[in-house]
Amino acid sequence: MQEHQHYDSEIQGVRTMVENPINGARNAFPLLLGFQGFLLMFLGTGRVASITAEEKETGLLDYQRMTPMSPFSKIGGYLFGLPSREYFMFLLTIPFLIHCVVVGKLPWLNILHLYSVFFCSVIFYHLTAHVIGLVVPRPRAASWVSRIAVLGLYIFLPVLGQAGISFLSFLTILPTYFGKILPSLLLIGENKLGRFESKVAEFWQDVPFFNFSISPSAFTFFMQGLIILTLVITAYRKWRNEALSAFSKPSGLILYAILQFLLLGSLWAFFSEGKANGLLGETFSTNLVGSIGKPEIAIVVVQSVYFALSFLAILALVNICCPNLHLFLKGLQRSEKLELNKIPWAADEGSGFWFVGLLSLITAAVHAIFISLANSSEIWNLESTIFSTISIPFLLVLASSLYLQASREQWFNLGFWGFVGLLWITPLLASLVVAVGWQNENLSSIFKLLALNPMTWTPLHLLFVNSNSLNIPEQVVEDLNQAIWFGITIALALAILLQVRLYWKRNHRNRSIKTSFKND
Amino acid sequence: MIKVTDLKIHYGDHVAVDQLSFSVPSGSVYGLIGPNGAGKTTTIKAIATLLEPTFGEIFIDGIPLLHRPEEARRHLGYMPDFPPVYDELKVDEFCDLFAHAYGLNRNQRKQKVEQCLHLTDLQKNASAKCKTLSRGMKQRALLAKTLVHDPSVLLLDEPAANLDPKARIDLRNLIRRLASSGKTILVSSHILSELEDLCDSIGIMNNGSMELSGSIEEVSASASPSRIIQIEVVKKFPMLPDIFSQFPEITQHAQLDDAARHFELTHTGDSENAAAILFKLVDSGAQVSNFHLKQSKMEDLFLEVEAGRIKRGKNP
Repeated sequence: MQEHQHYDSEIQGVRTMVENPINGARNAFPLLLGFQGFLLMFLGTGRVASITAEEKETGLLDYQRMTPMSPFSKIGGYLFGLPSREYFMFLLTIPFLIHCVVVGKLPWLNILHLYSVFFCSVIFYHLTAHVIGLVVPRPRAASWVSRIAVLGLYIFLPVLGQAGISFLSFLTILPTYFGKILPSLLLIGENKLGRFESKVAEFWQDVPFFNFSISPSAFTFFMQGLIILTLVITAYRKWRNEALSAFSKPSGLILYAILQFLLLGSLWAFFSEGKANGLLGETFSTNLVGSIGKPEIAIVVVQSVYFALSFLAILALVNICCPNLHLFLKGLQRSEKLELNKIPWAADEGSGFWFVGLLSLITAAVHAIFISLANSSEIWNLESTIFSTISIPFLLVLASSLYLQASREQWFNLGFWGFVGLLWITPLLASLVVAVGWQNENLSSIFKLLALNPMTWTPLHLLFVNSNSLNIPEQVVEDLNQAIWFGITIALALAILLQVRLYWKRNHRNRSIKTSFKND
Repeated sequence: MIKVTDLKIHYGDHVAVDQLSFSVPSGSVYGLIGPNGAGKTTTIKAIATLLEPTFGEIFIDGIPLLHRPEEARRHLGYMPDFPPVYDELKVDEFCDLFAHAYGLNRNQRKQKVEQCLHLTDLQKNASAKCKTLSRGMKQRALLAKTLVHDPSVLLLDEPAANLDPKARIDLRNLIRRLASSGKTILVSSHILSELEDLCDSIGIMNNGSMELSGSIEEVSASASPSRIIQIEVVKKFPMLPDIFSQFPEITQHAQLDDAARHFELTHTGDSENAAAILFKLVDSGAQVSNFHLKQSKMEDLFLEVEAGRIKRGKNP
């Protein structure tokens, strides 16, 4: 055994490193895990997506679709068959893994935990890639979209997880790695982990969910299992019939309810006791917020993230579950033939009016629970009324969902996304330009531009309702108030206008179909 | 058998197939003809369960396709116009893969793959990788794969598009043999002369609609209300014009040569009336050596339909 000494800035002193086989194996383990992750999670994922998309493009997928095997068998075949080369390469790393575990004296049970989560994640990523391949038309695009999605899971979502929404961090192996393996990798000759290592190890020990603490690996299984289930539903529908949307309306509703349940569970402790997971949790628990300002700023941040996620989910579900004109026409003709008065609401072809109404109600209900938790807690000092904290956001969610649904159902993809882009993205960019050019001079205009996008309307509203606690100047409060009502007025006007236009257009179609049936 | 009733397929506002109805009895070959964009491939894809119709019903051997697609797929064999294959697989592996997917056991698969490769004349190439095959051979490999689960209904989209003349003749013979073994075959092609020899009945599509459908004779007849009868006599017979004038069904007659041996009659009557004309000619002493109906050529029909001169006809 040899000893090396070096200066460690973290402990501001000399650290002694002991060279021995155990340390060698422990040092090699993370690298080996990274390599295995690269093989299966990065290369394998890209391969599944690109080959699925390629087979769809060439028509080979059609042959498979026509075979009488069940869609589940086909999904299984593609999931484990396409990345077989990557699985084989993974197998080649197994002897090195065994060496690291045996020589490094790593606890077998924890390794088993880690690799169970690892394979669960691999299946999750490959399934995501398969679904992307079934949806994205070009092979190269599908491959990169899926790889970017995996990188997003490792980088983007954990960042959001720092805002207290703990479940977003559990789509990767990191929580299990940090919570279960990192403490076992302590090198011989070192008494304790470094400051950063011990912090992350401590951070991932258990997950606050409602009033429970759940182990990171169990929570990862739970989270990934739910998403795998969702992806299997999509893949199943796409294998049965390529023309079907990714989700039916009932499964879209269930999915949204699950998402809201997870958000509720993750933020429960935050609203009731002021305890939050992630960076925000730590900031809040060390009373940093209190020292720099008011704790209400934390509630503004968390609620804004909550509403942003909810709006993004509503936008995605409206896009997937609401029928475009083509599909609606198909439904009209079928219902006419079956002598039904109208298309059943749960059918893919049916109007999404009630669907978005229910999505809005679920959002309002969860938000109301948050507010009542915060009101009954002694931590928060919310001054506003139920009307301003619950009813007004509900009105905006409802109006926004209705105009999204109406635009989705009367235009095709280009029209719909063009409309969303113009209404949600352009004002944001314009507000940036105004903010950079005129700064505080045009605060009123900046707020109004921001209020056009429901995701940026929410923080404005939250700032307004907490203006007293946050000591916001009176003139700014007045500007915020005007912007909030401006945003609501525009959203309501668009909802009414587009719904009326949709109603008129559909009536016109309905009449022409009925006439053609009579003529036939 | 295949039965299509009132099929409509819309892509947004574009109507790809409109109120299409036809049926193909078991053991017969039905040809779909039409210009590009007529809706032939869309129709075949809908029957193959790969496209969901906007409206209408499709039955495969009595199974409603829209309600029981999985069951119907067991009866279907589909060959697209462009032959995609798994490049890295050998030809026999490619067929074996699909035989497996259709639930055949090891012995059945071996036997069936050999049989299909023999039928498509690919035994010599059984061990060749698909990527090394020419386009025509890929087409044959695809046909072998299509036949491997012994489907009762075959949907062939432009099956001869990439084949050389000999392979086309072989394919035609193979399709006829398959039909005579009881299979129902729907084939689309733009090589009209081939369809004439191959099909028991045809349908001519244009702009998503079936303009004409029926046996080739019926379609030809419905194309023009009057038929052309060609007559040839051994030697000049001066009484012929008088005999023709006795039949009001002969609306026009023309002498085709100076020797007055070849005539062409425009005839609006039925086959019995045509037989009566022949009897009268022979009875009057004319030495008739040839008396036949001139068929309207498929190309002429096709062009007439495309130009819109022929509108919806018979839908048996």
